[in-house]
Amino acid sequence: MAESNFLIIVTVFFPLLSGVVSLLFWGQDRIQRYIGFGAGVVAWLASLGVLLATIESGPQVYSLGGWAPPFGIILVGDYLSSIFVFMSSTVMMMGLLYAIGCNDKVVTRPAFTTLFLAMHTGLMGALYTGDLFTMFVFTELMVLSSVSLVAISDNDLGLEAAIKYLFISSMGTLFLLMGIAAIYAAFGTLNFADIGQQLATGERPFLAREAAIMLTAAFLLKSAVFPFHFWQPDFHTTAPTPVHAVLSSVVVKIGVYGLIRLTTLLFTAEDELETIQNILLVLGTISIFFGSLGAFRTYDGKRMLAYSTFGQIGFILLGIGWGTALSLAASLVYAFNHAFIKSALLMLFGVVASRTKTKSARLAEVAGVGKSLPWVVGVLYLLGGFALAGVPPMNGFISKLALVQSGVDAQAWLTLGLAVGAGILTMMYMTRTWQLVFQQKPNDDTVELKTYNDNPLAPALLITACVLLGIYAGPLAELATDAAEQILDAPIYIEAVLGESATTVAER
Amino acid sequence: MNIVFALTIGSLFGLGVYQLLRRDLIKSAMGFALLFTSVNLLLLAVGAFDGVVPAYTTNEGEQASDPLVQALVLTAIVVSFGSYALLLGLVNIVSTRFGSVRTDDVNHLQR
Repeated sequence: MAESNFLIIVTVFFPLLSGVVSLLFWGQDRIQRYIGFGAGVVAWLASLGVLLATIESGPQVYSLGGWAPPFGIILVGDYLSSIFVFMSSTVMMMGLLYAIGCNDKVVTRPAFTTLFLAMHTGLMGALYTGDLFTMFVFTELMVLSSVSLVAISDNDLGLEAAIKYLFISSMGTLFLLMGIAAIYAAFGTLNFADIGQQLATGERPFLAREAAIMLTAAFLLKSAVFPFHFWQPDFHTTAPTPVHAVLSSVVVKIGVYGLIRLTTLLFTAEDELETIQNILLVLGTISIFFGSLGAFRTYDGKRMLAYSTFGQIGFILLGIGWGTALSLAASLVYAFNHAFIKSALLMLFGVVASRTKTKSARLAEVAGVGKSLPWVVGVLYLLGGFALAGVPPMNGFISKLALVQSGVDAQAWLTLGLAVGAGILTMMYMTRTWQLVFQQKPNDDTVELKTYNDNPLAPALLITACVLLGIYAGPLAELATDAAEQILDAPIYIEAVLGESATTVAER
Repeated sequence: MNIVFALTIGSLFGLGVYQLLRRDLIKSAMGFALLFTSVNLLLLAVGAFDGVVPAYTTNEGEQASDPLVQALVLTAIVVSFGSYALLLGLVNIVSTRFGSVRTDDVNHLQR
């Protein structure tokens, strides 16, 4: 086992610690939000450090309390988790920056920053951990804090949506727990590397296949894929803007991450891998179809973007379902770019909605609101829309191109046709809302505009990142290619966690 | 013993599903608690009944139960208890805001 990397634990627990510290400033919400942003920056720097160290010298590990795996809990930063954590911490930092300039009532609540940072910790921990049960605990931390954040939202419907999500997400948790019980019964360990090592021998003890089914269901539910998607538009639309930006862009990716781990490290034998991949392909295609159509016919701007996330997750699943090195790299690029684009667009829609009297993003109410905003917001929205639809030179084009290329490689023509059709639909609804918000004349009798709006600095930074990632796409594409190669080579991960003389629980 | 345990887990799970699907938030919350209890018992059943002596004892050569599952179950109980408490808190706010906990009355989320 390699040296412990201190930065991993900073990424995970510094936000939680700052959340506790911010509680000391009860009632001084500005100071609390600055503390929150500071914690976000520190976590971002630490995650960048882990990513660079991973590129430099292979997977990084941190064993909690110095207990060696497979008995101790271990946090692992290999390519996959480092990339996902870097992406998530960037968006989280921007969400906290947006909260500073936000005019919603919810950000002045004493517990807002603490809950947001608890969600941050839950997400980072769930991505870094190399242990199934720790993943469950961190995911629950994330779920409970996001439920609380939505329940105190300015939108009155937030409470109902929070209850709905708490019920449904708990069903996902039940599946995960049953999967954990089945895995433990079959292998006597919960360490990813150890399970992967025992599964690689080809033996299938009692309950091993059942565990695969349970875990697939749990991760599909967490990422809101087709049959489990119905909570997602409600829950995300009613969330406060900074929370919505984070939920729709990175929190749903936890399921995607779990599915990549499942198909590349754990269940890699021919027949079961094929079953899981076929499930992902079918459900991903249906998700693309329903997500795009749902976004097209909806009446609310934020809801439109939530539906669009549902469709975009489908694209990422296609890449995982094809399962080649090229398509996995395409999935990673897609997930990375989508996180930036979607959070930026949601924040821009929040800026627009913050001008209206009711702070609603209903298309009937935001019509013409953009006329009174600085012109730069309109330009940013249009750029974000192009990126989402995949128009060059934005980064969305790069991710679509990579995915289409890998699809041609895998000879999946039907899904490719759907993907291109969905891109055209995306273009249609994004330009339609842009025209509605920024070009149309304001409807004087119904719209009474406020004189102030949320600060558009955070989305401006994110869109800048999108443009840069579109023009200098080389580094990200190379990183994803290297990552895909390493992900498909499971022994690298296992050796990094368990060490050279990889022993299992069973042997001891 | 194993049969009794399996039957208990199964019937608790069935009761939980039935209760969860009723049109009343309090009853659904009860179903939620029952479901989590049954899954916690399932987790316990994985390794709790193998042993005849305590986990750390001086009696050499006798089979002890796996202590890890008990640690896992403790954590799972704490987590499920937290979720349950949060859920009941939210239901409480619903009952003061809407004057009802029937799901037919608390149904304002539009399509």
